[in-house]
Amino acid sequence: MLTFKNVTKSFRLDEENTITPVRNVSLEIEKGEFIVIIGRSGTGKTTLLNLAAGLVRPTSGQVTVGNSDLAEMTDKQISSLRSQKIGFVFQFPSLLPPLNVKDNVSLPAMFANGNGSKDPGKRAAQLLDTLGLASKMDVYPKQLSAGEQKRVIIARALINQPQLILADEPTSDLDNRTENEVMGILRDINSKGVTFLIVTHSLDLIAFATRAFEMENGNLKSITSAQSR
Amino acid sequence: MQLIRLALKNIRGSGFRSIAIFLAVMSVAGFLLATTLIIAGAQYSLDSGLERLGADILVVPEGAEIKIETALLMGKPVDAWMPRENIQKVANIPGVEAVSPQIYLSSMFDSPCCAVSEMFIVVYDPETDFTIAPWLEKNLGRSLAKGEVIGGNYIFVPEGSQYIRLYGYDTDLVGNLEPTGTGMDQTLFMTLDTAVAMAESSRTTALMTLNIDPDVISTIMVKVAPEVDTHRVALQIREDTDGMVPVESPNLFGTFRNQMNGLLWGFFAITVIVWVVTMILIGILFSTVANERRREMAVLRAVGATRNFIFRSVLTEASLLGLGGAVIGIAFAASSLYIFKDMIAGSLKMPFLFPSIPSFISLFSAGVALAIVSIALSALIPALRLSRQELAIAMRE
Amino acid sequence: MFMNKFLGIAIIVLALAIAIVPAFTDCQSQGKSLTTTTGKAVPMKCHWNGIAEIGVAVPLVTVGAMMTLNRRKNNLMTMGVLGIVLGGMAIAFPNGLIGVCTTPTMICHTVMKPALTVFGSLAIVGSLGAMVLGRKAKD
Repeated sequence: MLTFKNVTKSFRLDEENTITPVRNVSLEIEKGEFIVIIGRSGTGKTTLLNLAAGLVRPTSGQVTVGNSDLAEMTDKQISSLRSQKIGFVFQFPSLLPPLNVKDNVSLPAMFANGNGSKDPGKRAAQLLDTLGLASKMDVYPKQLSAGEQKRVIIARALINQPQLILADEPTSDLDNRTENEVMGILRDINSKGVTFLIVTHSLDLIAFATRAFEMENGNLKSITSAQSR
Repeated sequence: MQLIRLALKNIRGSGFRSIAIFLAVMSVAGFLLATTLIIAGAQYSLDSGLERLGADILVVPEGAEIKIETALLMGKPVDAWMPRENIQKVANIPGVEAVSPQIYLSSMFDSPCCAVSEMFIVVYDPETDFTIAPWLEKNLGRSLAKGEVIGGNYIFVPEGSQYIRLYGYDTDLVGNLEPTGTGMDQTLFMTLDTAVAMAESSRTTALMTLNIDPDVISTIMVKVAPEVDTHRVALQIREDTDGMVPVESPNLFGTFRNQMNGLLWGFFAITVIVWVVTMILIGILFSTVANERRREMAVLRAVGATRNFIFRSVLTEASLLGLGGAVIGIAFAASSLYIFKDMIAGSLKMPFLFPSIPSFISLFSAGVALAIVSIALSALIPALRLSRQELAIAMRE
Repeated sequence: MFMNKFLGIAIIVLALAIAIVPAFTDCQSQGKSLTTTTGKAVPMKCHWNGIAEIGVAVPLVTVGAMMTLNRRKNNLMTMGVLGIVLGGMAIAFPNGLIGVCTTPTMICHTVMKPALTVFGSLAIVGSLGAMVLGRKAKD
């Protein structure tokens, strides 16, 4: 499903300073896996997700989604891949302020060229209902709590029934109970064959993973092997 | 459609900024159209006036050129006389196809308010006339009878009366000419018979006696033969005659045109400068907005928007604001100008005729197109920057 | 409901303008009124327009005030209809019902009539706006 092959990513801050948040990472994720990567802030977890989504290109190495090498795809192809096959849960509040909750959730369907959800409005309503936000469909992001915003972002990631979900700190603004509820929903979706790659600093999420890794100084190391569900 | 929907929502969502841009475009577009319309209206009016004259050359008494130009332009009566025998002298010039004399009179002054105002009376010779005759033929199918008059657009019969009383003589207004926006709208046309009858009547019934000297005229209308050069005929009239000056029709109102052009094009230049400065300021505003929306655009890219979509999205927002502002501003300016046209023309002391519908539609469309293009240009660089930004860095901000 | 208050105040301002404009744009104010031999001013159309427009302005001010203070849908709709009718009357008086002097250079023709037409039109637009917004109000 998703393969990192000797991937390194460096960012040039200025003429003298360069940072390398991802160093020579190799990882192969099979379809249907639920991968959790933990690590402290600044260890390169977000950069790894951005590489997986094609939001940045690797300095060296190869990232493949399905059978497609992201480096060889055009902007249009990658955009199409992102809208139809990948769902992204951002760490920061990423809802668009001028759109209400329903429009925010339906946004990826707009770019799917008819290959996404056939009735995005209906699907958005279903997802929001599942996540306990049925009464908030016409509300605007500034009227939501941080936890509610996070759930809306998750709903948005699921609108086009993607094959791969990339989630950056999906439960960071949630209380324990809600965290468990949301993770339960994600595992439920995972059981239907959707692949998950989650990065987080919360050790509690390891319990949900089929495999878990730790990211430190840009290097990835395994901390558990595949777990039976 | 999705692009437009998203753009509209973004416009609504950005509240104050969108209103500021909308109002700026509305004001500048409206002002630009207003100055353009005034210029176009003045040109249209002068052209209509010249068309009404119907003559290729006006021969006027020497020294009276400016007076007569003012009379025709502003409808203020004038005293200008030359011997009647000049008619034959002009008729003898080679290339002259037809000549017709006119006598200029004025109605009585100090007329009571709401009654007939100060009028410019043109007495023409129906035997030789070729300026009024075409209109009479088309609209009445006959020439004027004794006692009948036709008037410019502003001539009217006072309320409570059937006739216009001039020098104690009742004249029957049988028709009004189309508006020109010039003094010809306040002009009354009558035949020599009627003028003589009026003069006769004034001896006994008017406060002031009107004297019409049969041996003098005010102007000679000249029609030049079709393939003859009007300018050469005018030069020849000047060389071969004394005491009179030929004025070619296109040069009529020349002094006025020059003054008007200076003033109006000055206004226009100021408006263009204001336009350019406004678009630069809007461009700066868009740049500021673009900086604030970097993360938002990065999110759109992450959920599947292409670079091209981001670019078009920003330009669509700008264009919609330009379109809305321009349409409202131009419509407001045009309707204000139309409603207050008499006051504007009066205070600017210049002829004005609201342009014809096709001209107006062209000006309207051009104004809207200019607004859309200008504002899109203002937003071009911010749109490019947003569409090409480094996404990971934008999302970190 | 802020917009309704705003429209209500706008209509009050327009009503005041409708009442005041004729006083400054009639022949009497310009020193050009018709007088009899005894020096008495003869009322002309501009004068009668001024009187009539006061008759329009007073109820229009009331309509504006009611719009500002009311929130109920029915009331806003009723006020809107009244505003449209009164705006129409403000336009109708100088444009036909009474008219103005025909001489095109006179101030009633160049300023009074167009100004009243504009204010009347704006009152109509404002009232329509209040009705559109009032549709969403509660009964």
